[in-house]
Amino acid sequence: MPSSPPDSVPQPAVRRERPHLDPRGPRFGAAITAVLLLVVVFLSLTGASVAALVLLTILAALFAWGAFAGAGRHPYGVLFKAFVRPRLGPPAALEHAAPPTFAQGVGLLVTLTGVVLGLTGLAPAVGVSAAVAFVAAFLNAVFDYCLGCQLYLLLVRAGILGRGPAAGS
Amino acid sequence: MNPISALSLVLALVVGATMLGLFWRSRQGHTAQVTPGAPDALTPADVGSRVAFGQNATLVQFSTAHCARCPGTQVLLAGLARSRPGVAYLDVDLTHRRDLANRFGILQTPTTLILDGAGQVRARIGGVPSRAGILQQLDDLSGSTHAQLAP
Repeated sequence: MPSSPPDSVPQPAVRRERPHLDPRGPRFGAAITAVLLLVVVFLSLTGASVAALVLLTILAALFAWGAFAGAGRHPYGVLFKAFVRPRLGPPAALEHAAPPTFAQGVGLLVTLTGVVLGLTGLAPAVGVSAAVAFVAAFLNAVFDYCLGCQLYLLLVRAGILGRGPAAGS
Repeated sequence: MNPISALSLVLALVVGATMLGLFWRSRQGHTAQVTPGAPDALTPADVGSRVAFGQNATLVQFSTAHCARCPGTQVLLAGLARSRPGVAYLDVDLTHRRDLANRFGILQTPTTLILDGAGQVRARIGGVPSRAGILQQLDDLSGSTHAQLAP
């Protein structure tokens, strides 16, 4: 069992729950999430508003789990470690937990918006937010695209995250 | 909405997302040539580097703390730089260099700039670069002086 290799690159203090993660774990989780989000879209379109809202609430709770406990402690990650990883070869490279954890936060924001709007009676918002979250989860699962990474950079550029060069180093 | 129409819409969503993904993937590692002489010659101080630039070329990777593919790119580029004489590699964490992110209009990480020996930006690669693509650029740069001698 490969344990986490030593960090050769010293990096500034970043909240990091787990030093390294098999990148296929979060993608496996994103695949499950994408399918379930598609079910929400379908339920919402066919008028099963309550069922759609309930499932989206469950998905939002799962996103919250990943966002607050860290991507490495997500329930799908446990499934991955128990049933999927033993069937795969070792990963080409390990990754930090921070990007997928941030992505879980983005997913939480999108799905929670849908849940709140759905609760206030705006039923179509449930389907729309599920569709938006689906695109991100699908691109992550199938194409290894990291929406959280891109958003993070844009937030840094907007001055919302990160620090300017003035911060003494 | 009846289930058939709903299913078609769901299918359209999957097709749309797939096309978006294919487009994104086709742009990964895309190299844009930069005409030499553009007014953005870099110095090591510009990017907060204590390491001198390479004599022939320098690979400047822009990363953030939240970038899934940056560590892999770092390994690739650092290895390529080591394997080539006169080629330096450095990684810039944009989390602390918003000014550079805006100066170069970085929209994704990793983004790699290839500088010539004078620090002029000669090529820009968005996304995860390919080994072959980088080597091609380095060949072009180190060979450009010889190429002028050739007929």
